[in-house]
Amino acid sequence: MTALDTSTRPASAAAHGAGRILPVARLHVVNRLQVLVVPALILLFILAVNMVIWWLILRSITDPADRADAQEGLQYSGASFYVFVYAVVIGVQAVAYAFPYALGMSVTRRDFWLGSALAFVGLSAVYSAFITLLAVIEQLTNGWGLGGRMFTVLYFGGADAPWYERFLLFFAAFLFCFFVGAMVSTLYQRWRVNGMLVFFAGLTVLVLGGIVLTTLTDSWPAVGAFFVAAGPGGLVAWSLVITALAAVVGFVVLRRSTPKN
Amino acid sequence: MDESRPIFVQIAEQIENDIIGGSLPEESQVPSTNEFAAFHRINPATAGKGVNLLVDDGVLYKKRGIGMFVATGARERLVAKRRDQFQNEYVKPLVTEAGKLGISESQLVEMIRREGTE
Amino acid sequence: MSAVIEVEHLTKRFRSVVAVDDVSFGIEENTITGLLGRNGAGKTTVMQLLTGQDFATHGDIRVFGERPVENRQVLQRVSFIKESQKYPDDFKPKHVFRTAPWFFPHWDAELAERLIDDFRLPLNRRIKKLSRGQLSAVGVIVGLASRAAVTFFDEPYLGLDAVARQIFYDRLLEDYAEHPRTIVLSTHLIDEVSNLLEHVIVIDQGRILLDADAESLRGSATTVVGTRALVDSFVAGREVLHREGIGGLASVTVGRLDPAERREAGELGLELAPVSLQQLVVQKTGASTGIEQNA
Repeated sequence: MTALDTSTRPASAAAHGAGRILPVARLHVVNRLQVLVVPALILLFILAVNMVIWWLILRSITDPADRADAQEGLQYSGASFYVFVYAVVIGVQAVAYAFPYALGMSVTRRDFWLGSALAFVGLSAVYSAFITLLAVIEQLTNGWGLGGRMFTVLYFGGADAPWYERFLLFFAAFLFCFFVGAMVSTLYQRWRVNGMLVFFAGLTVLVLGGIVLTTLTDSWPAVGAFFVAAGPGGLVAWSLVITALAAVVGFVVLRRSTPKN
Repeated sequence: MDESRPIFVQIAEQIENDIIGGSLPEESQVPSTNEFAAFHRINPATAGKGVNLLVDDGVLYKKRGIGMFVATGARERLVAKRRDQFQNEYVKPLVTEAGKLGISESQLVEMIRREGTE
Repeated sequence: MSAVIEVEHLTKRFRSVVAVDDVSFGIEENTITGLLGRNGAGKTTVMQLLTGQDFATHGDIRVFGERPVENRQVLQRVSFIKESQKYPDDFKPKHVFRTAPWFFPHWDAELAERLIDDFRLPLNRRIKKLSRGQLSAVGVIVGLASRAAVTFFDEPYLGLDAVARQIFYDRLLEDYAEHPRTIVLSTHLIDEVSNLLEHVIVIDQGRILLDADAESLRGSATTVVGTRALVDSFVAGREVLHREGIGGLASVTVGRLDPAERREAGELGLELAPVSLQQLVVQKTGASTGIEQNA
């Protein structure tokens, strides 16, 4: 009898859990316009503006050698960075607004974090699929017929990467943005301005220290070699480590946070 | 509602008044506790306490699953009870006060009669 | 009757401030309890603790016999409507009413619809753009329609006009009568709700001043008004809850008076005035902070 009790109770508890986690995930995407339509439209608008610029470049530069030079430069374009910033903002807002709301809906912090993580993974997949599609079109049309580069830039696999490699790169990058944004936001939820100050001061010291150390030890070539050796796959793996770390830290911090006015 | 006395007592008194006044005839159904609560904007538990006071006195009785009804003979008993109260709360102090002021019994009767004809 | 909420020696400290100071009480199942007190008395903190939104420094809280913090089984039967509730930045009321049913298993969509009409709430306006009263209406609707076994309303009607407040009281009573549940209502509009309450807890400076049945409090205090000398002789030997005076007149609040004492006061030419729950709370919580200036 007791064996039956212990075996059925956790199962029903787990079922209830799924029943709370999924709604939290849906909470983040309840406003479709805001999470799907608006970022897509803005991205397409940036693409349109870029196409005009590429066309102007094509018209003004007639020398084939100069043209190649210009197009060489385009592979460093940061025009698509906007969507990643958008992902960071969604991550930040998930904790800043949806967290107090979810608690108001009697959700536990644990279920909130799991549901949010689910939403981040889902949104990353959708965003990545969309941008991969644009990248493939860009690749097939040889830069929208204008030799332009926005989604096949160097840091996203360059001109000739296969689609699944692009997808994974985008996917990892989005996950990184969502989780790091959300994690930083948990620091604010828990420790307010002090938390922000300590975090960014710490980050600055860390980055600056790294640069100083690398310079002092003349290791810049080694750093470059590391990135080359790691390749896109390695970078994805490394970013996932940081993403996972952010997810864990965010959870631990949020677990003891109370939304304040 | 009077602030100085418990609400449930006041609810019970109002039902009694309605029975004495005839607006709640014997064997008629009394509004439910929740209807009393909604009407007077009071806690249903409080209204229930008032109704139960009358059930305990035998003024009201419950029909299971249907509701609350005025008992046969309730009006008569309430009137008798109120008469006793009237005697104690009004007539006694009246007579006491009249005695203090030196008003004789016949003078008192005359005074009451005068009030009645006005 | 069984207690659905049990609190023992609860203390909450924010750095040097003690917001809740060694408090113990219980709340009976299926009652409407008023949690009353001045602003900053600790009402909101108590509710934050009872709903697992904040963490106790000391003491024990049981809701349905379990600790509420991070307890899904408990929390999904609890609804907490607070005046300062935040909503996602881009939310409109319609988003709230679309999402809330996902979290409250007993959500009544019909009731929500009716309340939206009652309060004339615009569903398609950004929450940020709502008036204070409309914002309160959103919370009130969620609180009533969620029909949770335990519902907390923390100052639920800031900015609601008298008509809207009356709608809230009426709907609350109506729905509570049909679907009995435990309701904890914190407010400073005590006169308006005193008839709705079955139980009253008065909290001041983090401590409980009063924990009693609402009915037992009716008539538990009386104010005696008259010339100073007369009043003083009448209240001599009694516990004085409150005293005010102007010139030769005195107004003194004492405990319950029996009919004989009332008659005696009448014969002395003293006036007796009942003390409402609100006045009682004002006197209890005002006195302890030394608000009296007439002495």
